[in-house]
Formats: sequence, C-alpha cells, structure tokens
Amino acid sequence: MQRQRFMLGFILSLAVLSIAVLANLPLNLGLDLRGGSQLTLQVSTTEEVPQLAPDDLDAVRRVIENRITGLGVSEAVVQTVGGTQLSVQLPGVDDPEQAERVLGNTARLEFRAQSPGSDQQFQAEFVVYEDLRRQQATAIAQDETETLKTVNASLEESRKALLGLFSEPSLTGKQVRDAYAQPEVGDQWAVVINFDGEGADAFAELTKGLAGTGRGLGIFLDDALLTAPRVDVEYAQLGITGGSTQISGGFNLDSSQDLAIQLKGGALPLPVELLETRTVGATLGKDSVQASIYAGVGGLILVLIFMILYYRLPGAIANIALVIYSIITFAVFALVPVTLTLPGIAGFILSIGMAVDANVLIFERTREELRSGKSLYRSVESGFFRAFSSILDGNITTLIACAVLFWLGTGLVKGFALTLAIGVLTSMFTAVTCSRTLLLVALTIPSLRKPELYCPDLPPMEKRRSRPAKRSPPAPND
Amino acid sequence: MFKLQVTKRSKLWWSISAGLLLASFVAMGICFSQFGAPLRLGLDFLGGTRLQLELACGDGNNQPEVCRQPIDINVVRAVLADRDLDGSSVQLLDRSSQAQDRHIVAIRSQDLSAEQRSQLVSALEEKVGEFDPAATQIDTVGPVLGQQILTSGILAIALALAGIIAYLSVRFQFDYAIFAIIALFHDVLITAGAFAWLGWLGEVEVDTLFVVALLTIIGFSVNDTVVIYDRIRETLRIREVASVEEAVDLAVDETLTRSINTTVSPLLAVVAIFLFGVSTLRFCCLSLIIGFLAGAYSSIFVASTLLAWWRKRTGFVPQVEKAEEAIAEGEMEQALES
Repeated sequence: MQRQRFMLGFILSLAVLSIAVLANLPLNLGLDLRGGSQLTLQVSTTEEVPQLAPDDLDAVRRVIENRITGLGVSEAVVQTVGGTQLSVQLPGVDDPEQAERVLGNTARLEFRAQSPGSDQQFQAEFVVYEDLRRQQATAIAQDETETLKTVNASLEESRKALLGLFSEPSLTGKQVRDAYAQPEVGDQWAVVINFDGEGADAFAELTKGLAGTGRGLGIFLDDALLTAPRVDVEYAQLGITGGSTQISGGFNLDSSQDLAIQLKGGALPLPVELLETRTVGATLGKDSVQASIYAGVGGLILVLIFMILYYRLPGAIANIALVIYSIITFAVFALVPVTLTLPGIAGFILSIGMAVDANVLIFERTREELRSGKSLYRSVESGFFRAFSSILDGNITTLIACAVLFWLGTGLVKGFALTLAIGVLTSMFTAVTCSRTLLLVALTIPSLRKPELYCPDLPPMEKRRSRPAKRSPPAPND
Repeated sequence: MFKLQVTKRSKLWWSISAGLLLASFVAMGICFSQFGAPLRLGLDFLGGTRLQLELACGDGNNQPEVCRQPIDINVVRAVLADRDLDGSSVQLLDRSSQAQDRHIVAIRSQDLSAEQRSQLVSALEEKVGEFDPAATQIDTVGPVLGQQILTSGILAIALALAGIIAYLSVRFQFDYAIFAIIALFHDVLITAGAFAWLGWLGEVEVDTLFVVALLTIIGFSVNDTVVIYDRIRETLRIREVASVEEAVDLAVDETLTRSINTTVSPLLAVVAIFLFGVSTLRFCCLSLIIGFLAGAYSSIFVASTLLAWWRKRTGFVPQVEKAEEAIAEGEMEQALES
C-alpha cells in the first residue's frame, strides 16, 4: 500500500508538472495549422562549386535569412534540410509571391566606390540606415508587425538612397575566393577577404582610387550595404595589392564572423531553386484547427463515455488515466519541442487509440479472471500482468515502424513518426502504471470493492467457485 | 459467451477478402491505364500548382452580390482557357458540409511562377469576385521533389515492414510474422483500392496525408493482429486443445470484445472529424475509417484463419506445455509478491 501511495503521489506531481509546462511553454503549431507559407529551396552545385560543403549551405542560409529580414516577416525560420535543401517558414504570409521572387535568386555581392563629394550625405544617410536597422531588429524581436512594415518601407528608401551614393560595381562576388574572421589584438577581430587573380587587380585599382580620400568602399549584398570601410592613405600609390585585404575596426568575434559568412554567401555563385511552396491562409489554418479539434475532442468524449458505460469503474479510472496521458504527452510535445502538424495530430490520435487499447486489453483480462472465480484484487493484478505481453508486442512493433519512418521519412512523415513514438512511450507508462495504481488505490476503498462495478452479469460467487479447477489463490490482505 | 468459431467458415472469410482485393485490383488497374499509376496521384507526387480560393463573404449582412450564388465553374474555366491553362482541373468546394455554398474554387494546373499565379488570381477576381486572402491555400511542388517524397516514402515503408517481420519472428515465430504482414497488406490494399475507385469515379487524388493515413493503418493493423496472435500463442501453450483450429477459435472469441472495442474507439474520433472537420481532412479520415474496418476484419477473420490453415497443413500438433504453465503462473506470482 505504501508503494501505491508513493506512485499515486508521483503520478499526480507529474501531471501537475506537465500542466505547469503547458502553461509556460506554448505548443509549437505547424504552418498548416496556423497559416503561413513554407518554401523549400534547392541549392544546386555549379562548375565552380561541384560539391556542397556544410559551410556553403550555411552561407547560403545566411543570405536567405538576410532577404527574409528584408521582407519583414516576424518569426521566420530558415533551416537546412539534408545536405542540399533549405526550408523557409514564413508564418502569417498569405501570398508568398514576394518571397518567392526574392528568395529564388543567386546572391549578388558587389564592391562599389563611393562617389566623390558625397561624404556629408553618406554620413547622414548611414546614421539613418543604421538606426532603421536597429528598429527593424527590435520590431522583429518584439513581433510588432505594423511597426515592422513602416520600418521596412523606410529602410527600402534608405537603402536606395545609399546605393545612389556609390558608383557602378567595380568588382563582384564572383572574384571573391574566400572570406573569414581573424583575431587581431585582444577582443578585436577583423574580416579577411581573398580575391582571385582578376579580382586582385580590380581591387587594387578600386582601392588606389579611394585611398586617403575619406570615401568608403561600399560592399553591397543584394543591393543592401553591408559595410563601407575606408582605405588608408598609404595605399594611394598602388592600391591594396596581393589579392587579399583585411577589414578591421569595431568587430568582435560575432560580428566579424557574421560579416564573413555574409560575404561568403554573397560570393557563392550557387543557384537557388524553388522546389516547393505551401501556403495556408491564416483563417483556413485556424478553421482547420478549430473544426477538427472540436470534432476530435467530441469523438474522444464519446470514447470516454463508452469506456464508462462498458467497463464501469475501471473505465472511469482509465478515463482519468487517459486525461493524464494526454496532458503528459502534450507537455512532452512542448518540451521537445515538436512542431504539431496535421500528420502529427494523426499520430497522436493513433497513440490515443493504442492507449485505449491497452486499457481495454487489461480490463477484458480482468473480467475473464473474475469470471473464472478469482478474487477482485487478484483479478485486477493478473489482468495487468497477462495483458502486458500483448501491449508490449503491439507497442514495440509500432515503435520499430516509427524509428524507421523518422529516420528515412520526409517532413510530414517525420512529424507523424515523432508524435506517435512519444505517444506510445507515454502510454506504456500511463496504461500500465497510472491505471494500475489508480485501480489498486480504488480497491482499498471498501465501497468500491464490489465485483459488479468491474464486470456486469457476474455469476454468483458459489457458482464461480464450483467451476472446474483453476487455482483460486486466497485474497491477499492489503 | 458468443461463439464465432472463425475457422469453421474460413472459406467464407477468405472469399470476402478475395472479393474486396479483386475489386481493389480492378480499380487500380483502371487507374493505372488512365493515369499511369495505381491511384490518381495528386500534386504532392506529380508537381504543379494548386490554388484554393474562397470568396470573401464574411459573416455580416452586407455580403457582396457574388455571395448569393455559387461560383460559376464555366467562368473559371474560361479564365483558365484565356491563359492557355485548359488542362487544369477545376473543382468547386463548400465552406463546410453545413453550408452547401460552393464558394471555394480549387484549381490544379501545371507549375506556375509567382507572377503567373498572381496574374491568374487577379483575372479570376475580376470575373468571379473578390477572394479572402486569409482563406487561400497555395501549393506549388516541383516535379523533382514529388519523386523524392515518393521514393523515400516507399523505402521507409519497406524497411519498417522488414523491422516488424524481424521482431515478430523473434517474439513469435516466422509464420506468425508473415501472416501478420499479409493481413497488413490486405488492409493497405483495400484502402488503396477504395481510393482507386474514388479516384476513377470521383476524381479524388491522393496526397502526402494519404501516405500518413496508410502508415497509421499499418500501425493499427499490426497492433490488432499481434494481440490476437499473442492470445493464440498463449492458448496453444497453456490450454488443452485438440487442434490448432480450436485454439484459434478460442483465442479469437475471447479477444472479440477487445477487438471490437479497440476499433470502435478511434473510429469514434475519426468519424467525428470526418463529419464535422474541415474539408482538407475529409479524405484522410475516410481512408482511416476504411483502413480501421479492414484492419479489424483482417485481424479477426483472416490473419487467424490463415495461421490455423497453415499450421494444420504443416502438421503442427498442439502440445500443452505444463511446465510452461507452471512457469507462467509462477512468474505472475512472483510479480505479484514484489
């Protein structure tokens, strides 16, 4: 009895903990449920880059992230999928037309010289630009859609104004061979850019013209200014030669790495091709959640009623266990975190079916034991004991299938496999431990210790006792 | 207790299954000759663009004029023909099964670029009425990806089956595993067959959600069969039976309530979503309903009788392993003590 009390306490605290988790961590809904666009991009290789390294894909991802920031979508997520694909999720986007147009291009990195006599204008515009960028970052972080829209509009203006202060590109990303961050003194970092032969000459020419003039060397990615370093006067004679340059001043580790990866991404001539777009309107997503959740919950309530009508007291206890099961499962979904999509919900429904099945198996066994003349306590115990191998086999076969599907399947199928696996693992615990403990605790309450609460139409005791010999162990005193 | 005695009428159960499977194969054959695949494959596997647009009607009283009547499918077709998209399929859908309004138009066409698509939408808005951007659904799938989804899906299913066979062979015996897999194929084929009929007669296409539904059915089917097999094994091990058939009959009868209850419970949820959920989920739920029913049927009537038939044919004689019974009881006692 001590043990049951302990288990009961454990289960209850687990349930409370799960509720706390759910209250604090929102469930992650997939775009098919809350509306938005999902784009899958294929990064192709070219003659210059015959093999995609993980670094290359990261660089392309950074470029894509830049462009999305430009689109002004909050909460956008860009992930690399497999070795060659990027998945872009744009919540709340009804028509991905703009995104499709912007994302499907190869990045453009350009080096431009600042036009003579534009110093003051540049200083003013640059301050505005930096300020707007900070505002944009805040708006995205705080998810203020309206602010973001206005900021993005001004930013677009500012970008154009800045672009107008620079000459035509003298050098492009094609001539950049590599870019990386390098430590300088102390916390200071610098970004090193290496050019190819053609690029080295063009860069020397470009810097020769700019050295000592105070005008900046504008580095633009997709027409947006990344940085505009000045060239020291000592290079006025020859320009920066040797095919390598170093941008320093004001970088820390993070900012230098970020700039390097952007430069690298801009330099990669990797064509990005749109493989797939899936858009679900916001209300459509919401409608499908609501209607289907109402219907699903309605169906589950029917299951709960059915359990009580058919299995009586154990049914009622199984229902409590099922509710605890659902709470724990959802808490695990929130913790992992699992992105819930329609297939994910299908996986969850199947796992509920299996949790119900586990209880049904146990109670059917309990009834058989009762009919064969065993005491109530013993029937319940052996019901759990004997049903266990069936439950185990059923669940393990399902888990095997889940493992394979998770390992090999694509997006939607993966979601299904994950929720089903979590559901099955949780149900192994709740069906076996939770229902059992609750039922055994119920057995200690005298008014609940009536066999007819467990099985209707039970033949009277004498008759059952006189049945051909099955061992009828004495009821233990608990 | 109700006595079904499944093995007495094995031939009848097999004929029913054979009939259903034959009907499935016929429909899949027809689909294959018409669409080049055993099912009418949807966008997800073939690639192309699918647009689902809903008239912006709102709930208020001052609905625009166009909301009084259903969308005219011929107008939509004419707009498509203007842009050389004659080959596209057009369907009108209802916003819900309660409101039979035909205010939603779904168009399946070849792969459209972002520009082509928005031009098409504005042309449609001009002729049909304004659409609600928050209720649109746009899917574009490149042909490469569709192929990729299909192959990785098939590979995953094949490996999952191999894993299940291996596990069941260890836990039970090899013949159990094989018949469980046969029952599983039975369920999947009947569900696919039903969708081949729907595809041929009702233009229903299968998508990734259908694959997910098939996976669910596979999981359910194996679980269902395993429980009955578990009982057959136990009966053969610890009870005095004259033949395999008797053991199978007993096992099936004793697990019958469980088999029915276990099938009914998820069906309650799925039928509710089928009736009241959104249209996107309707066919996914229908496939689950068919699959669950087929799964219950195959576990109770087919997997069990096939096993009985096979064991009898190979000259298996049931022997009660008294020792095992004692061990089984002993195990239980021990577990109860602890």
